[in-house]
Amino acid sequence: MMLQRGIEEKTFFLNLGPQHPSTHGVLRVVLEMDGEFIVNSEPDIGYGHRAHEKMAELKTYPQFYPNMGRVDYLHALAYNQCYCMAVEKLLGLAVPERAEFIRVITSELNRLTSHLLWFGAYLMDLGAFTPFLYCFDDREIILDILDRLTGSRLTYCFYRFGGVPADIDDEFISATRGFVQRLRSRWDDYHNLVTKNVIFIERTRDVGIITEAQAIQYGLTGPTLRGSGIPYDIRKSEPYSAYPLFDFIIPTGERGDILDRYMVRLLEMEQSLRIIEQALDKLPTGPIMAEKVPKRLKPAEGEVYTAVETARGEFGIYIVSKGDVKPYRTKLRVPSFANLSILSEIIQETLVADTVAILGSLDVVIPEIDR
Amino acid sequence: MLADTIKKSLTALNLEKVADGDYAKTGYHLEVAAQPDQMPAVAQLFLDQKCYLESLTAVDLVESFLLVYHFASFFELCRTVVHVPLAKGTRMPSITGSYKGADWYEREVYDMFGIGFSGHPNLKRILLPEDADFHPLLKDFVGGK
Repeated sequence: MMLQRGIEEKTFFLNLGPQHPSTHGVLRVVLEMDGEFIVNSEPDIGYGHRAHEKMAELKTYPQFYPNMGRVDYLHALAYNQCYCMAVEKLLGLAVPERAEFIRVITSELNRLTSHLLWFGAYLMDLGAFTPFLYCFDDREIILDILDRLTGSRLTYCFYRFGGVPADIDDEFISATRGFVQRLRSRWDDYHNLVTKNVIFIERTRDVGIITEAQAIQYGLTGPTLRGSGIPYDIRKSEPYSAYPLFDFIIPTGERGDILDRYMVRLLEMEQSLRIIEQALDKLPTGPIMAEKVPKRLKPAEGEVYTAVETARGEFGIYIVSKGDVKPYRTKLRVPSFANLSILSEIIQETLVADTVAILGSLDVVIPEIDR
Repeated sequence: MLADTIKKSLTALNLEKVADGDYAKTGYHLEVAAQPDQMPAVAQLFLDQKCYLESLTAVDLVESFLLVYHFASFFELCRTVVHVPLAKGTRMPSITGSYKGADWYEREVYDMFGIGFSGHPNLKRILLPEDADFHPLLKDFVGGK
């Protein structure tokens, strides 16, 4: 029903999903198989469509804001930030420096939870159960830290148009510093358990290669892109918030295979720790909310596009305002949508077992694709 | 500067508008307006400059549609928006010939707005069920009924 090509007698169809643990959400991939090899494939998305973009048109700016924690639930704070940035740009609101620092610290902590979850879940896809227990142990600490500050563990709705609603205190700072040290001391465990594991290397080296030309064709972003050697990270390429004030590097791969994407994510976590540390060191004093935020948000006519770097790549928001309390049109440019669209091309002629490995290495969050 | 190179190469296409954008206000370095039949050539030009398709969407202006293409580059900060007005009931030329990634974006626009793309290899719904009989992002679609 899905695939248009003529079916030869020797091929058969196999459904991967929609309820399959390694699709990380409700994704179905229709595979046309020649024995163990994939001849053709087509991802079938939309099972979790919640009409976020329609909701955006029907609600006022603040009313729609809680949706931003539910597009990509793993790095919700980046989505919070992007929406706030877009609305602030429309309104011409300036955010106090301390608030920007708090945004950066919490967003980087959230990025770490996302990468740690990916690390555990991905290795579980490959059949390794133990790493999952290690990284969830670490991840839990961040969730507790963020829970205390924001009031939620996953679907955050924390930043406000013009700043942040709650300041960080000494307890937050000492807990965060403690966590940074703890995670640093864990790298050896992670690398000994996984990175140097010969079974893991054999399964990922030179598998699922993405070239630079393919990345441009499909508009890939995030670690999926950087694994192919292109150092494109919105935090550096189009600096926003307080990121220009910190010293960090953008790790990239060389071959564009799964192992490179894996390494990029692991190295990126170290950079996140560096950013958090610097932000805590340089934390300025001052207000955390802009002084004059209008009660009723009614931006002037115009359109705006803002982008942030999430754990999965570029998240962009395009808003068209017609001078009303509701946006005329809101488009959510989600990184996983573009990143998944390349799947058919890179799993062709591979084995089913590799398909699971390649799909996981793209780190897609299905609810953000479906929106 | 990439923006200048793009501007220079776009002049050959005789477009309606090629102007510098107000980056601080809108996030665009270049603002371009084109006619539907010019779009495949415009897209090819961006691909030749190694830009990627950042997003592709539409806005229902009730009397007509406005298609909105965003292009950006991995190598230099330069975002271009291309606005393409499209009369209702007409089809839009596909840019899948240049950008393979446009395949899903165009399917989404078809799904949400009912805009057909001529030259698209596999135009069908992508997020909504195949048998849906509505296009939800049209302004006359009212949800919850």
